[in-house]
Amino acid sequence: MLQHLLTLIWNKKRQHFLLFLELFVSFLVLFAVFTMLVFNYDNFRTPRGFEYQRILTVTASLRLPAGTPNDSATLLSEQLKRSLKSMSGVAEVSYVGSNSPYMMSSMSDQITYNNISAQPESYQADDDYARTVQATMVRGRWYSRFDAASGRRPVVINEALAEKFFGTGDPLGKVLPGDRQIIGVVKNMKDKGDYAEISPGIFHRTDSGFHDKFLVKLTAGAAPSAESQIYKTIMRHLPGSSTEIEKLEDKRVARNRLALIPVILMLVISGFLVLNVALGIYGVVWYSVNKRRSEIGLRKAVGATAGGITRQILGEVLVLTTLPLLLGIILAVQFPVLRLFDLPAATYMIAILLAAAFLYLLVTLCALYPGRQAAKIYPAVALHED
Amino acid sequence: MIHLQQIEKVYRTDTVETQALNGINLTVEKGEFLSIMGPSGCGKSTLLNIMGLLDAPSGGELSIAGSDTRQLRDRQLAQFRNQRIGFIFQSYHLINDLRVLDNVELPLLYRKSTAKERRGLASDALGKVGLGNRMKHFPSQLSGGQKQRVAIARAIVGKPSIILADEPTGNLDSAMGNEVMEILLRLNKEDGTTIVMVTHDEQMARKTHRLVRLFDGAQVQ
Repeated sequence: MLQHLLTLIWNKKRQHFLLFLELFVSFLVLFAVFTMLVFNYDNFRTPRGFEYQRILTVTASLRLPAGTPNDSATLLSEQLKRSLKSMSGVAEVSYVGSNSPYMMSSMSDQITYNNISAQPESYQADDDYARTVQATMVRGRWYSRFDAASGRRPVVINEALAEKFFGTGDPLGKVLPGDRQIIGVVKNMKDKGDYAEISPGIFHRTDSGFHDKFLVKLTAGAAPSAESQIYKTIMRHLPGSSTEIEKLEDKRVARNRLALIPVILMLVISGFLVLNVALGIYGVVWYSVNKRRSEIGLRKAVGATAGGITRQILGEVLVLTTLPLLLGIILAVQFPVLRLFDLPAATYMIAILLAAAFLYLLVTLCALYPGRQAAKIYPAVALHED
Repeated sequence: MIHLQQIEKVYRTDTVETQALNGINLTVEKGEFLSIMGPSGCGKSTLLNIMGLLDAPSGGELSIAGSDTRQLRDRQLAQFRNQRIGFIFQSYHLINDLRVLDNVELPLLYRKSTAKERRGLASDALGKVGLGNRMKHFPSQLSGGQKQRVAIARAIVGKPSIILADEPTGNLDSAMGNEVMEILLRLNKEDGTTIVMVTHDEQMARKTHRLVRLFDGAQVQ
């Protein structure tokens, strides 16, 4: 029967060309949508690697008078940090750079080591950062005030950068360009949002001077007034500063929402496409069944059962779908083969399978009702219609 | 072979009731070539459809080769038609998108057979109707007589014991009609196939063993 269906479809290739094209384009769009969904889902499933609950992100912008000595600026920051840490309800305080968790800012660094180039996210964070966000060390340690006396700049890299440069080797003690010595490897942190991809990262110890951005970790039982107390403390130390306090939790929600906007847009657009394709397939099958009433009547006369007719109509649509699908799969497989967009091969493969399954399901649903109607055609009537 | 007893057929709509067949009693013997004649609308095709299990009678009994057809379900009816009955229609009913050979193979698709067996049987059937050299053609490339010969090949490919022909020469000129009639007569004589033919052509009907005339759904001769 399969050979018969293939023959029938091949002989009608001109009539089927537009449907073939529609199914081919639909597969490619579905492949793109599923690639995006699988990619986002995989990222979502990846462990976050740090904690964001009960953390406030504080920006205290202050224009220091011109000519303020660096030591005075450093002292100002240290005094503020000490005051904040001594407050009840505050567990940790850590100075960070502008690309701290869930901020819209990004800062990258071009590093080449042993002829391997990488462009890791470059972070500035102080000695208390790992404790504040509860980052997990995989190897070595986070830097501390004792590293200030070290001849080299201590850095901590994440697992992604360690793997990129050293594979399974030990990165501890290795010196990166810029006289940066690796003293620790931290677990990957998904600090750009729950749907963001893990990328290589390097943490530099904050230099001396004034720091206007920091994270404040509150204790579990911190009073609701802690936020206003923090604000007052900052204003006492930095009168005239422009201070903004936000919950890291809220920043996370905002960042996630931003990541989902293109996904939702793509889903809406592809939803319309799928609806059009569904209506198109339904219309084509319905028209085909009505046009082939005498053929269906004949098939019943020569031995086809009602179920056999439904299966034939479904079979034709499924075979017709398989041909553009194969062409689409050949094209889609080029993405992992040619390493386009640098996504994991598994993401593309899962997307191919999902797109194919979705398309088969769609055409089956669209052909089911016309197929059942075809099965009800009465041969005695259909054979005398023309 | 085919036994009809008090066959009735009534078509009902919301407002009208039409008695298409009224108490038909008829027996077709094995190996008989029977023709049915009558004016348009007298119930000839309805009777043939009932004999071919394409339509169910409103009343009466129909048995074919000793089987009471009232007991058969959809699957069994389909199997019965596939294995025991071959159909020939006035308008051929060939599938235009399939080549001649694929058209002839059609009944074999609904029974267990390999592609090779189907090819062999279809080629033999086409050889019998003199179209062995037209296997790769499409129906649109054939004349009316050739199309009807393809339809005959399709009817006999499954080696049925009964052929039901609904005005097989109705769309053909007399020369082509005679050709088709010769093939049917040969099938009846050489293979012993039972044939029931509906026709308007008195000359064709006279070539068969027996003639039944219908008028207003009733048998008059």
